[in-house]
Amino acid sequence: MRRLREAWQGFKAGAWLGWQIESNWTEPFLFAIYSVIKPVAGVLILVFMYLVVAQGGLENPLFPQVFLGTTFYLYVVNVLSGISWSVHDDREHYGMLKYVYMAPLHLYGYLLGRGAAKTLVATISVLITLAFGMAFLRVRLSLGSPGLLAAALMLGLAALAFYGILLAGVSLLIARHGWMVGDVVAGGLYLLCGAAFPLALLPAPFRALGLGLPPTYWLEALRRALLGAGLHPELAALSDAQLLLILAGSTLLGVALSAGLFRAAERIAVRRGLLDMQTMY
Amino acid sequence: MTWQIRTFLRTVVGRAYPRFIGVWREKSWVIFDVFFPLLQVSAYVYIYRAIGAPPEFAGFAVLGGAMIAYWMNVLWSMASQLYWEKETGNLQLYLIAPTSRMAILLGMALGGLTATTVRAAGVILVGALLFRIPLRVGHGALFLGVFLLTLVALYGLGMLLSSVFLLWGREAWHLSNLFMEPVYLFSGFYFPVRALGFWVALVASVIPITLGLDALRQLLYPQLMERFRFLPVEAELGALAALAVLFLFLAHRGLRFFEELARREGRLTLRGQ
Amino acid sequence: MVPMDLAVKTEDLTRVFRLRKREGGREVLALDRVNLEVRRGELFGLLGPNGAGKTTLIKILATLLAPTSGRAFVAGVDVVENPAEVRRHINMVCGGETSGYGLLTVEENLWMFAQFYGIPSREARRRIGELLSLVGMADRAKTKVYHLSSGMRQKMNVVRGFLTDPEILFLDEPTLGLDVQTARTIRGFIRQWLREHPDRTILLTTHYMHEADELCDRVAIIDRGRILACAAPAALKKTLQREAVFRLYLEGLADAKAALDGMPGVRALAQQEEDGRLRVDLILSEEEVLVSVLSRLQAKGAKLAELRKEEPTLEDVFLALVGRRLSEEAP
Repeated sequence: MRRLREAWQGFKAGAWLGWQIESNWTEPFLFAIYSVIKPVAGVLILVFMYLVVAQGGLENPLFPQVFLGTTFYLYVVNVLSGISWSVHDDREHYGMLKYVYMAPLHLYGYLLGRGAAKTLVATISVLITLAFGMAFLRVRLSLGSPGLLAAALMLGLAALAFYGILLAGVSLLIARHGWMVGDVVAGGLYLLCGAAFPLALLPAPFRALGLGLPPTYWLEALRRALLGAGLHPELAALSDAQLLLILAGSTLLGVALSAGLFRAAERIAVRRGLLDMQTMY
Repeated sequence: MTWQIRTFLRTVVGRAYPRFIGVWREKSWVIFDVFFPLLQVSAYVYIYRAIGAPPEFAGFAVLGGAMIAYWMNVLWSMASQLYWEKETGNLQLYLIAPTSRMAILLGMALGGLTATTVRAAGVILVGALLFRIPLRVGHGALFLGVFLLTLVALYGLGMLLSSVFLLWGREAWHLSNLFMEPVYLFSGFYFPVRALGFWVALVASVIPITLGLDALRQLLYPQLMERFRFLPVEAELGALAALAVLFLFLAHRGLRFFEELARREGRLTLRGQ
Repeated sequence: MVPMDLAVKTEDLTRVFRLRKREGGREVLALDRVNLEVRRGELFGLLGPNGAGKTTLIKILATLLAPTSGRAFVAGVDVVENPAEVRRHINMVCGGETSGYGLLTVEENLWMFAQFYGIPSREARRRIGELLSLVGMADRAKTKVYHLSSGMRQKMNVVRGFLTDPEILFLDEPTLGLDVQTARTIRGFIRQWLREHPDRTILLTTHYMHEADELCDRVAIIDRGRILACAAPAALKKTLQREAVFRLYLEGLADAKAALDGMPGVRALAQQEEDGRLRVDLILSEEEVLVSVLSRLQAKGAKLAELRKEEPTLEDVFLALVGRRLSEEAP
């Protein structure tokens, strides 16, 4: 019971602090940079690649799939990589990690709270980018399966948060290079999860790897929910329920893995004195 | 040689040294500066493949990925560098030294440029091998000339930005962030800039990589680029030379102006703004 | 024209900081018509609490900050009109610095800064070796800076300041936050360097009274941007010679200041809790006043636990001038 209370305390503290750090709409300039300009510019790069080469330009049937994959991928960058960045940020820039660890709250819960704040902030960017796509890029989204959308979003975001904590555990241990872990993983997942192109194009071993990663199924479920069809022929045989089941399974796996491995990482970090390591980044 | 010239040269070498030595001492850059850009480049290569683009477009993506290394270096290690130097206390030590500020910026630029060239070469080499990208340079000297002039203009812009950023505190960090994805878009890092329309491309040419990339692509893939070229290579070369001179001149003037302004407003040593 | 024997001279030097709107937009007077003369070959101290204006003054003299009004000359050169020329004569070391690059070794960092002063590499390396030995860091020359403790790092920075053999050196709280041993090493080093270079000038700011007393030929006491007194430490202390300095420990009283408020003969008073008792430092115009002070305190319910007559220190000089201790923030 006490552990649960501490975890909840940690979650609340993390979410509050995360919100204070991340929420920037009180400053229009920062809001414009991070929530509008950067995500929209990222999508526009794809737009022009299509306009230059693709048959039919934006009418190419692949475009809405790629647009949606890239837009929802903002969650991966913000939540999954963001949580591991919090560890680096708190330790290196604010020197706060050791105090969070010493406080009678749960570091795991605290990081989950930071993830919750990041999810909220990312949601703003995702909604703006989706609206931009519908208004200017002729992307037609339909809410054909609201149940699928809600379930996929919930399970997928939870999974991202738990895997983010797993990554945070890795960041704890590699103090000197902790800042790059999130970016490298996010870049790798963008490639392997077929966010912007069909998995079939990848060499066989990478394709197999991609099929083993939860975000692949998450993005596919979102595409089905909002566009009525998925992108990857490899997953076409799976029903919506099966997709959700895989997602649920991978979320549970994420919970178990993150809980176990993060605790182990925490113990090792304490033993090696990594919680307050300043590396002069 | 007068004392001033000797000190100028010593300063350039002295300030370039940490950047140069960093490449050999901190091997982690291989992961972040070669492996990570390659992940991005690979994604763009597959996007092109998915829409049936000719193989040269993969070359566009790899070349763009390599040039991003320079742009990142200019943004984070030139433009906002003086902000970090202020935070660590180095800036005030630079400013009280009896040496030219341009020499310090030049040292930073040369060191960064050398280190980044190693990184960019890594991206091109691994990318070309991985995706079997056709790289045939018809006019070697011209190619080299465009490349070098692009870098001179680009680092000139970096020096100018760093003098402007001298006034800023944490805003410098946000401005550098602002100049990432939008610049990848408007400078045509992953697609021919002509696609944005002539006037947009013209405005985007204020960032030298826009013209440099277009010219390099024309020299690498002359046939394909006939349809997409923004300006003739010679015109781009001329514009790059003009930009190089302009930026270096403005950096020189800007540094003096902004340093004076910052000294008046007490912003040269203020930390944690 | 500044006389040749003056290393630093200021005339009505004033600096006003205008805070940003979100910080209240008000103006803060950091230096208020400061007139100061530091002679060549002197170790001159600026003693004052945090926020007194010491660093602002050093920054102006080091060409990092422009004055709002008034003039300042370093090595006879106007810091506003010809800052480039001033820089050829100076160097600076600040306490709590984190400057330098962690990736470089101590020797490389120092070499890099030497290059900015046009010192040939061989000469720079010779001086680095010599100075590192003097501060007991010869064995750390090849250590990367991010492996150094903060004390070692500060010693390296002190070496950086002396490396260029400056005519005038500004030391801004050089022992700030350091352990006793490291601070002692640095003070010893400063003394030795000055012995070997009698023509050099050091302007030292500190809020450690002992440091100013131990090192400085002359000391200026500064508070809220104004110079309140300027003389040799002994001469400053002598100003209190005719007065009596006492330290009292009281029980059963929380506020001696209120109890003695307005009492004739009490020049200055500072108090603080210490081990459950109230420590009161008193400066009285003459010893005889003590009797009436004690009776007043007794009448207010205080019990005298201990009484000592003290030799005046610079801290007492500051107390007499300002009405509070060096460690106390301005109200």
